[in-house]
Amino acid sequence: MRKVTLAVSLFLGLITALSACAAPSPSTQTRAPAIPEVILATTTSTQDSGLLDVLLPLFTQETGYKVKPIAVGSGQALALGERGEADVLLAHAPDAEARFMSAGHGTERRLVMHNDFVLVGPQDDPAGAKGPSNAPSALARVAQTQSVFTSRGDNSGTHELEKKLWKQAGIAPSGKPWYQETGQGMGATLNIASEKKGYTLTDRATYLANRQILDLSILLEGDPSLYNVYHVILVDARKSSRINAEGARAFADFLVSQKTQSVIGSFGKERFGQALFVPDAGKADPSSVALK
Amino acid sequence: MTLLRAFAQRAVDSAPQETPPAVAVRGLVFQRGKQTVVKVDTLDIRRNDVLAIVGPNGAGKTTLLLCLALLLVPTAGTIAFDGVRAKDMLRQRRRMAVVFQDPLLIDMSVQENIALGLRFRGLDRQTITQRTGYWLERFGIAQLAHRRARELSRGEAQRVSLARAFVTQPEILFLDEPFTNLDGPTHRALIDSLAAVLAETGVTTVIISHDLKDVLHLASKVAVMISGAIRQLGRPRDVFAYPLRDDVQAFLVAHRTGGGLAAP
Amino acid sequence: MDVVLDGIVQAFWLLARADSEVVRVTLLSLAVSATATLLSVAIGVPLGAFLAMGRLRGRQGVISLVNTGMAFPPVIVGLVVTVLLWRSGPLGFFHMLYTPWAMVLAQFILSLPIITGISMAAIQQVDPKLRLQLAALGASRLQTFWVLVRETRLPLMAAVMAGFGAVISEVGASMMVGGNILGETRVLTTAIVMETGKGNFAVAMALSVVLMAMVYVVNAYLTFVQQRGRLR
Repeated sequence: MRKVTLAVSLFLGLITALSACAAPSPSTQTRAPAIPEVILATTTSTQDSGLLDVLLPLFTQETGYKVKPIAVGSGQALALGERGEADVLLAHAPDAEARFMSAGHGTERRLVMHNDFVLVGPQDDPAGAKGPSNAPSALARVAQTQSVFTSRGDNSGTHELEKKLWKQAGIAPSGKPWYQETGQGMGATLNIASEKKGYTLTDRATYLANRQILDLSILLEGDPSLYNVYHVILVDARKSSRINAEGARAFADFLVSQKTQSVIGSFGKERFGQALFVPDAGKADPSSVALK
Repeated sequence: MTLLRAFAQRAVDSAPQETPPAVAVRGLVFQRGKQTVVKVDTLDIRRNDVLAIVGPNGAGKTTLLLCLALLLVPTAGTIAFDGVRAKDMLRQRRRMAVVFQDPLLIDMSVQENIALGLRFRGLDRQTITQRTGYWLERFGIAQLAHRRARELSRGEAQRVSLARAFVTQPEILFLDEPFTNLDGPTHRALIDSLAAVLAETGVTTVIISHDLKDVLHLASKVAVMISGAIRQLGRPRDVFAYPLRDDVQAFLVAHRTGGGLAAP
Repeated sequence: MDVVLDGIVQAFWLLARADSEVVRVTLLSLAVSATATLLSVAIGVPLGAFLAMGRLRGRQGVISLVNTGMAFPPVIVGLVVTVLLWRSGPLGFFHMLYTPWAMVLAQFILSLPIITGISMAAIQQVDPKLRLQLAALGASRLQTFWVLVRETRLPLMAAVMAGFGAVISEVGASMMVGGNILGETRVLTTAIVMETGKGNFAVAMALSVVLMAMVYVVNAYLTFVQQRGRLR
C-alpha cells in the first residue's frame, strides 16, 4: 500500500511540474494583454537562423505577448494559416504567399527583410558553376556536367526558390540520378552535398553557421534572383474566434518597427562577421523584382 | 424403484425437519454446450453433515461441487442456503471455503497465504494473527510460517490449503479430492487430521473422494454420482453394502477390488 | 566517428556544468514520458486484466485492436492528435496544442496498447484455477485483481519498461503536437532532431548521450524493482 501512495504522489508531483511548465511565465512589465499567446507559423530555416531567438524575447519584453513559434515547412505554415490554426505567419515563399493572399486568407502582408541564397559546391568546381553571372545559368552548368546536386525537396521556401530557378534555366532535374532530394532541412542537405562533393542552393545563414564542418565554398552570390524575401502575414481573424488578431498585429508592427529593423540589420555580425539579413520595411519589395 | 428410494431416504433422515437444510438444491442443471454435465433434481445437505460424493471420472462431481460453492453459475435450478437463495454471491462465498486437489498457493509466505481469506474479509490485524497462529499449530505447520509457500512439498502445501480454509471459520466446507495426489503415509496423516477437525468443528462438509475407505472414515452420508445424476444417497455403510442400481453396483465393485472394502 | 567522440565529450561538459537548457529539456522529457507511462499503467493494467479475465462480447476484436495498437506508427498518432487538438478541431477548446499536455496525450495513446497488451498476456498466463481459488477464498473482483497483479509483477514491470521505452524515444508525435518550442515543449528527442537538421551534429550527439544515460538510469531502477520481487 505504501508503494501505491509513493506512486500517486510521484504522479501528482509530475503533473504539478508539467502545469508549471505549460503556464506562461509571469511577464515582467505592467500591462498584460488579454490573450497573451500568439501562435506564429514560420519555417525551419527562419528558426535555424537563430533570429527568432533574439527577436521573440524582445517582443515579449516590449508588449507582454508570448509568441509560440511553430517551425514547419513553408507549405505547412501557409496551410496552418489557411485553417486559422496560427495567428500570424512569417514566410519567405512569395509565390505561395501571393496565392494565399488572393484566396483571401490573410488580411495584411508586410515586407520585413530579406536574406540571400548562395550556390555552394566543391572548391575545385568541376561543373564550372563559378563562371556565370546568374543563378539559372550556373544551375545549367551543373545539369550539363551531371554533377551531384542536393535539393531539400520538401516544398520549403528554399525548395520553392530552387524550383523556380531550374524552371528559368529550362531544366527539369527531378528524377535524374545526379539530382538528390533529401526531404530534410538545410543543415542536413548541406552535409550531404559536402559528403558527396556536390552542389546545392542554400541560405547564407545556414552555410555560415556550418562552414567549419563543410567542404563547400560559395560559388555564386549576389544575383537578385537569389534573394530570399520575408513577409509577415496577418491571418484573417474571421476564420476563427480563437485567432488573436491584436497579438498578431502587435507582432507585425513590432517586426517593421525601426528598433527591430536595426536589430535585424545587425544580427549575425558578431558571430559571422557579416550581417545575415537586410531589413527592408518600407522599401521597395525585392521579391516583385525577382519575380520577373 | 421410487418407493425403495423414498424408504432409504426416510431411513437415513431421522432428524426432525424443522430447521431448513444448510444447502438445498432443486432442479440443478449444468450444461456445457449440448452436453448435460450435471442434473440433480433434489439434494439436501443438513447442518453438520459430512457428505461425500463419489463416482467414476467425468460423472460431474467437480462441476456439482463448484455449483454448490457458487463458483460456477448453473444453467438452471436453485440453491438455497439455510432456506434462503443467495442474492449477494460474494457474501455467501465468504461464508464457505473450498480446498482443491491442487493447493494453489500465492507467491507469498505460508502465513500470508493462510491469512489471505481473512484479509479479503477485512478483519483486523489482531484477529488475523490470532487465528492464523492457531491453525498453523493445528495442522502442524507452525515452523513453516515464514517459508515461501511455493517451496513446500505437496503434503505441506495441502496442509496450508486446509489451514487456509479453516481459518475463515466457514459454515460450509468443500473439498475436491484433496488427498488424491499424496503418498500413502501423508494421505493417512491428513485424513486423520481432517477427521479430527471435522469432529471438533462440526462444520457442514461436502467432500469428493476416490477413496472409499476415506468415505467410510469421514462421511455421514455418501452420494453416488454417475453421468451427472445422483443415483443413490445414504449412509456409507448402507450404500456400499446395498447398492440399489446396476450402475452403482458396477462402480462399487470396480473400487472394491482396489480398496479392500470389508462387508459389514 | 569523431562526431561521436566529440559528442560524448560535449555531453560530459554539458552535464558537468549543468547547462540550464539541457537540464530543463531533460527534466521535461522525463516528466512528460513518466506521466504518460503512469497514466497508461493506471488504465492499461486493469484494462489488460479485464480483457484477460472477462467475457466481453467482441472480446476477440478488442484484443486484435490492442495488439495492432502496439505497433502503431507514432507519426500517425501525432497527426491525429494534432487534428483533434486544433483550434478548429473537436477538442480545440482545451487549448492543449503546443503544450506539454498534448505530448502527454500523444505518448499516452502510444504506450497504452503496449501496456494493455502485455498485461493481458501476463494475466492470461496465470492458471485459471488460481482465479477460481481466489474466488473461493472470498475475494472480490478488485481483490482478485490486486493478487493477480502481484503474481504477475515480473511481466508487468516489463510492460512498464516497454511502455516507457516507447515514449521516451519517440519524436514524430512529440514534434507535431508539441511544436518543439524553446522553454515549453522542447524535449530531448525533438531537440536532437532540430540540432541535426541545423547541422550541429556534436550538440545532437551530446543530447543523445544525455538521453541514453537518462533512459539507462530509469531502466536500471525499474529492473531493480522487478528483480527484487524474485529474491523474497
